[in-house]
Order: sequence, then structure tokens, then C-alpha cells
Amino acid sequence: MTEFLQQLLNGVLLGAIYALIALGYTMVYGVLRFINFAHSDVFMLGAFVAWYSVEKLGLPTQSIGGGLMALLLSMSVCAVLGVVIEKLAYKPLRQRSTLTVLITAIGVSLLIQNVAQNSRLGFGPNPRAFPALFPSQQLHFGTLTVSTHQLVVLAVALSLLGLLYWIVHHTRIGTAMRALSFNATAASLVGINNDRIISFTFGLGSALAGAGGVLYAMNYPSIDPLMGTLPGLKAFVAAVLGGIGNLPGAALGGLLIGLVETFVSGTRLSTFRDAIAFGILIAILLFRPAGLLGKLKVEKV
Amino acid sequence: MSTSLLQLSEVTIRFGGLTAVSSVTADVREGELAGLIGPNGAGKTTLFNLITGVYQPTEGRIEFAGAGTAGVKPFHLTERGIARTFQNIRLFPSLSVSDNVRVAFHRHLEHRAWESWLRSRRFHAEEAELQDRTRELLGIFNLERVQDAPAKSLSYGDQRRLEIVRALATGPRLLLLDEPAAGMNPSEKDELMRLIRFVRDRFRLAVLLVEHDMKVVMGICERIHVLEYGRKIAEGSPAEIRADPKVIAAYLGD
Amino acid sequence: MAFPIAQRGLLAALILAGVASAVSGSIDPYFLDVVMGVGVSVVLASSLNLINGFTGQFSLGHAGFMALGAYTSAMLSTVVAPRLGWSPALLQWVFFPFSLLVGGLLAAAAGLAVGAPSLRLKGDYLAIVTLGFGEIIRVILQNVDAVGGARGLTGVPTHTNLFWTFGSAALTVYTVWALLNSTHGRGFLAVADDEVAAEAMGLDTTRYKITAFGIGSFFAGIAGGLYAHLKGYLNPGGFSFDKSIEIVVMVILGGMGRHAGVVFAAILLTLLPEGLRELGSRSVPNPFGGAAWSLEWIKDMRMILYSLLLILLMLMRPQGLFHRGERRRQRT
Repeated sequence: MTEFLQQLLNGVLLGAIYALIALGYTMVYGVLRFINFAHSDVFMLGAFVAWYSVEKLGLPTQSIGGGLMALLLSMSVCAVLGVVIEKLAYKPLRQRSTLTVLITAIGVSLLIQNVAQNSRLGFGPNPRAFPALFPSQQLHFGTLTVSTHQLVVLAVALSLLGLLYWIVHHTRIGTAMRALSFNATAASLVGINNDRIISFTFGLGSALAGAGGVLYAMNYPSIDPLMGTLPGLKAFVAAVLGGIGNLPGAALGGLLIGLVETFVSGTRLSTFRDAIAFGILIAILLFRPAGLLGKLKVEKV
Repeated sequence: MSTSLLQLSEVTIRFGGLTAVSSVTADVREGELAGLIGPNGAGKTTLFNLITGVYQPTEGRIEFAGAGTAGVKPFHLTERGIARTFQNIRLFPSLSVSDNVRVAFHRHLEHRAWESWLRSRRFHAEEAELQDRTRELLGIFNLERVQDAPAKSLSYGDQRRLEIVRALATGPRLLLLDEPAAGMNPSEKDELMRLIRFVRDRFRLAVLLVEHDMKVVMGICERIHVLEYGRKIAEGSPAEIRADPKVIAAYLGD
Repeated sequence: MAFPIAQRGLLAALILAGVASAVSGSIDPYFLDVVMGVGVSVVLASSLNLINGFTGQFSLGHAGFMALGAYTSAMLSTVVAPRLGWSPALLQWVFFPFSLLVGGLLAAAAGLAVGAPSLRLKGDYLAIVTLGFGEIIRVILQNVDAVGGARGLTGVPTHTNLFWTFGSAALTVYTVWALLNSTHGRGFLAVADDEVAAEAMGLDTTRYKITAFGIGSFFAGIAGGLYAHLKGYLNPGGFSFDKSIEIVVMVILGGMGRHAGVVFAAILLTLLPEGLRELGSRSVPNPFGGAAWSLEWIKDMRMILYSLLLILLMLMRPQGLFHRGERRRQRT
């Protein structure tokens, strides 16, 4: 029973992280109808910015203040990066075919990965140890062991999700985002500055990805420039599972993928757990392409 | 007494909460030149999509040449003899004019695809024959001169004509034309009316056309069906339709 | 018509390949290696062009089909061949092409399996599913110890020579050309242009798309087999998403559908990294006197330059280097 609860907790935590990344994918798809392949690399950079702030900028480890500073720094840098990428690489291609933008996104992703891997310009290809940002202790609740790091991950993830919900449903800019995702032309006709909303969406999504990166690194404290690929793909599956373009769907999808992955890794099929995520992806797309909470679009002939 | 080539019986289609077509019963006879009119949003193109198998009716039955069309894929229906053009011209933009037509002739090929890899004698013979038939068909419609040009480079009027030629290449018994006169000037419309009559006579097929231009519809159609909000409200000869108060009300509003 | 031009061209290419192969002993092995690599790339790019460019389906998992072909033929060579007791010549000239064929057929079967259910999906979604399939294949290969698992498969005899690579490349190019220049082939292009209209003209669009996937994956499998017997070993990591992207870039650069362009792009993009590596080992004379400037940084920057190229290309000339016009796809 304890085993089960332990796995459940791990699954929920992993799921929360996937949810944060998945939200970025789904938000961008919602406003631009395209999949931002570079998102997973922003996630990676989030972890590295936090690492950098401790190792090179001297932020204190094992402290709540230091941890929060590192998190905020990561989120800010990633937000800016997201906006820059959008302005330079995606905006000029708004009128072009989806294929063109997709390829560009792949190009941006490769660029970030390779610059990060470069020993001169980036961090080099070797994995690095991620410092303990927040005070780490093992807490015991009966037979259950929970580390403070895990609690922080949970707290931060939930707060961010709550914050996102508030932004999307209770602010002007959130309403504008939703309007854009329904009908871009109509949105601009009612006076919404589409470009600014799109930039904001990218910034917000990237900030969440950055946070996800920090939280992920806290749980799995070895970081390398290619760490974003697999979690990114899985988070993407999560977004599709929930219904791409649907925010609660992305959160739900993230949770489900996290839980499935955690439980599978406890069984004999563990080495295939990555393949399981893709299996789920294919299954959804074949049987319910709109995802769990999404709606299918009918093509007009 | 000509028999019904196409028979619609109480055809209904619903998209979620919207009923686009409701209990429509209509027929088109062999060799007939029929028209389908109605205000915007009446369900005309939806009806076309139902006839060509793009949509499946929620209720009701459609029969073509005596056989039901339920569950039959669009390309099978084309094989049975239903061809169409589209409201917004849908040519194959990256193909040449002659290739657009040639592709529609593919049913007449006896050789299988892998024979084109082998370049067998039969392949060459059939390809040559197809080339001739394409040129001949294009020639009838005066498009031979541009046969190698990319389809998208044609003038608007020529593109509309090409779409009709392409549909003819599939060897249909029923030709559905979706707003063929859209965007044309009066002299082009006269030309179109002559063309449609010519096509019907020369190729011995039935034509059902959706059109907003009353001069065209009244000018060539033998029988006209009128739709409003998905329902059929009238059917008859041009004179009858012109005088029908329901039709007048539908177009002018109350 | 006795023997039309295209088939004469194919025959000539094969004879040339045979001759080149015979004298290959005297050619610099590094150069030989590069040229054979080019041949493999041409097969890969052409086969993907059939799927992407001709039927408009975007496949991001091509490396997966390559992997299937590679492992199948490699397993045949390492497990079955030694038990036959054949002479080396017989192995290279009879068994090897046989193993390539089997690899290709297996890959084709996988292609049909992937293509059939995925057909209803449009654009991005199809891309993702194919990506998923590619990754699944890689993960499975990484975890099945019978084929070497994560450590890979070693000891594959290097049967690949100029004849087989050049010959396969010529055959692939011929196949695509022959298909394209036929009414059936035009059907492929029609399906890519407008599925709804193609269906309305009586084309079984489903069949066309599946066929493209099947033929495309067949040749990817052949390329995989050639690759396996060129390198002598296989590592599942080499068949990842990155590899699929490499091939996709060749097709995009060449202008999707424009076959000659794709072949050229494949050649260019295979030689480019080698060229950069060469350049990186040289140095440029310093115009201000003093020590020459080393170009070694180019070696490190290879992939960076590559990805920048990709981005710039999309921004400035997305139709590729040779495509005459962009096939605009509807954005919902």
C-alpha cells in the first residue's frame, strides 16, 4: 500500500511537471495552430539558467530565498527567449504553410541544442550535477517518505497552474488569448492586438516551461543540453491526449502521462516506458484525435 | 417516359445541433438539365456533398442508377458515374492543364501501376491513347492551346471551363455543377449556357446545377428545385417557379 | 520503342557503377566512404520525397524504416550467412542483395502498417504520429538484447560497395521518375494538391497514400541495409528523430516534389558536413601578419551552422532551391 502511495505521489509530481510543459505547447497551438518544437529546449534552458545562477552567479543553495530567486530568474529568461524566438523566427512566417513553420521550429530547436552543447559557446555536452536549490530534508509521514524538494515541486506547480488559470479566466489579456484561439480574424476586428497577445502567449508558455525545467532538475538532478527532448515529447503527447488547444486538457494529460509512466517504471516493462508514451500518442490520434477534452474540426468542402 | 437517374427520398442531415438538409425528396431524370436554387445557406452545396458521398445522410435514402449510395466512398460514386465541379474552383494547381484532365481519365487504364515502372509496351500504348483522348477533349473546349500551361496560370473563365472538362473525363452520367457562373460577366454567362447545353447533348448526360444567377437557371434548366433553410419548397418548370409565391417570398424575405 | 531513354539511362548508370566498383580498390578509402554515403543519402531522400513531396504527407519517422531495414539485413548477414558456408564473393553478390531486399520488404510492411491507420490525419498530426512510430522503433531496438540492445550490433560484413550504392541510388531515382511520368503517377501529385478534388475525380486517395508510404519505406529499408553494411556496426541512437530530420531537410531544401532538386540536395547536404570538417582542419592566412587563423571552430560549429542554414532557408526560400512555386497548404 505504501508502495502504491509512494508511486502515486511520484506520478503526480512528474505529471505536474509534464502539465507545465504541456500547457506551453497547447497555448501556442491554440493561438497559432502550430507545434513549437523548440519548446522542449526552452525547458532545458530553464534548468541551465538555474544551475548557472547558483554555480556562476553565486546564488545560495539550500535556501528558500535562493531557490525562489533561481526559479524566477529562469522563468524570466525563458519568457524573454520565447518572445525573441517568436519575433525572429515565427512571426515572419505567419502567412506561410504550416510545414514551413514546423521546419523552422525544428531548426530553432536544433540550434538551441547545438549551441548549448558547444564547449565554447554553451555548456558543453557533458551532464552536470544540479545543485539543491531549496533546503532538502526527508520527511516521514508514517511509512511514506517525502522529500522537501518534492513538496516544493508540488507547491510551485500548483501555484503556477493556479496563476495560469487566473490569468486566462480573470484578466483582459487572458480573455484576449481565448478569443484569439477561437477566431483570429474576429479577434483583431474587435480591437485585439494579435501580435502582442501572441508574444504574451509565447512568453507565458516559455516561462512555464522554464519553471518545469527547474522543477524537473530538482527531482532528477543531472542536467545536459539534450535533456529536453524526451520530456518535451512526452509533454507534447500529454497536450494531445488532453486535446490540443485545450488548457485543462493539457493539465489532465500531463497528470495522466506522469502517472502512467511512473507506474510502468515500477513493472517489468520499465525499459519500454518511453515507448509507452508514444504508444499512447498513436492510440489517441487513431481513436480519438480530438483528445479527451477537445473538439474535432470538420473540414468545409 | 425517362426514368430517375438520381433519386433522393426524405434525405436529412444533421451536424450536431444544426439540421442542414431536412426531408428533401427530389429526383433527376436521365439526360435532364435540372437546377437547384435557393437563398444563401439553404443547403445546396450540402446536398451536392450528400449526393457525391462526401457526407452521409442522417436519415433518408439516395439512389443513383438504381443502386443506393449509403456508405459508398466518393471515388466509388465517381466510378459509378457522378462527377462534380466545386464552388471555389479546385483544380490541381501544380499540374498542367492536360494533366488535370489526364488524371481524371485514369479509370480507363487497363495496366496496373507497377507496369509504369517496367515501361511495358501496353503501358506506352495506353499512355499514348490517353494523351490523344485528353488532347481531343481539351480541343472540344478550346483549351488545347494551353494544354501544357500550369492550371493555375489560366484565366478565371478558362479555369472554370477546365474544371468542367476534367469532370467530363471521368465519363459521368450525372454532372453536378456548383455555381459555374460565379464571377462571370454577361457575355461569359451566355457562353456558359451554350456550353452546358452542348455538354448535355454531346455527352448524353444529366446535369444538375446550383446557381444564383436567375438568367442562367431560367435560361437553360428544364426543371428547377428550390431549397430554403434545408427544405424543398418548390419544384417545377422555370415558368412555374417564377410565379411561385413561396419562392418569391424566400428570395425577397417577408 | 525498343529501349526508351530512361531505361537506357538506368542501364548505363548500373554499368558505370560496376566499372567504378571494379576500380575502387585504387581510390582513397575516405573518399570512397563519402561517395557511398552520398549514394545512401540519395536513396533516403528520394524515398522520403515520394511520401512527403508527392502525396503531401509529412513523415517525420523515416529513420525508423531505415532502422528496420538496417537491422534486418544486418541480422541476416551476421546470423544466417555464416551458417551457409558460402564463398565471400557469393555472399557479397547474391546474399547481400537478398538481405537488402528482405530488409526493404520488412520496412515496406511497417510502412503499410503505419500508413493505413494514419491516413485520416492531417498535416501536423500525421507528422507527430510518424515521429512517434520512429521513436518507438528506436526504443524497441534499444531494448531488445537479441539485436544488440543499447550497445548496438557489431561485426556486420562490409559488403556495401560502389556498385550497390550507386546502383540502388540509380534504381530509386529511376523508380520515382518512372512513377512520376505516368498517369498513375500524376495521380499521386493530384492527391497531394487537393485530396477532396482527387477523390471527386475517382482517385482512391487512401490507396495512393498507403502505396506511397509502402514504396517510400521499402527504399528507406534498402538504404538502411546499405548503411549497415557500409559502417559495419549499428547503433540505435543513429536512427533517432535527428536522423529523420536530416532526411527531411534534404527533401525541403530540394523543393518537395522536385525530384532532381531533392537528389541534388541530398548530395550537397551529405558532402557539406564533410566539407566543413575538411575546412575546419585548415587555416586561413592572417592578413595582419602573425599566426594563421585556425578554422577549427568550424568543426565544432557544424551542427550550429546546419540549423542556422535551415532557419534561414525557411525564412527566405521555403520552396527549396529548385521548386518553381510554393504549394500553399490551407491553415485552419
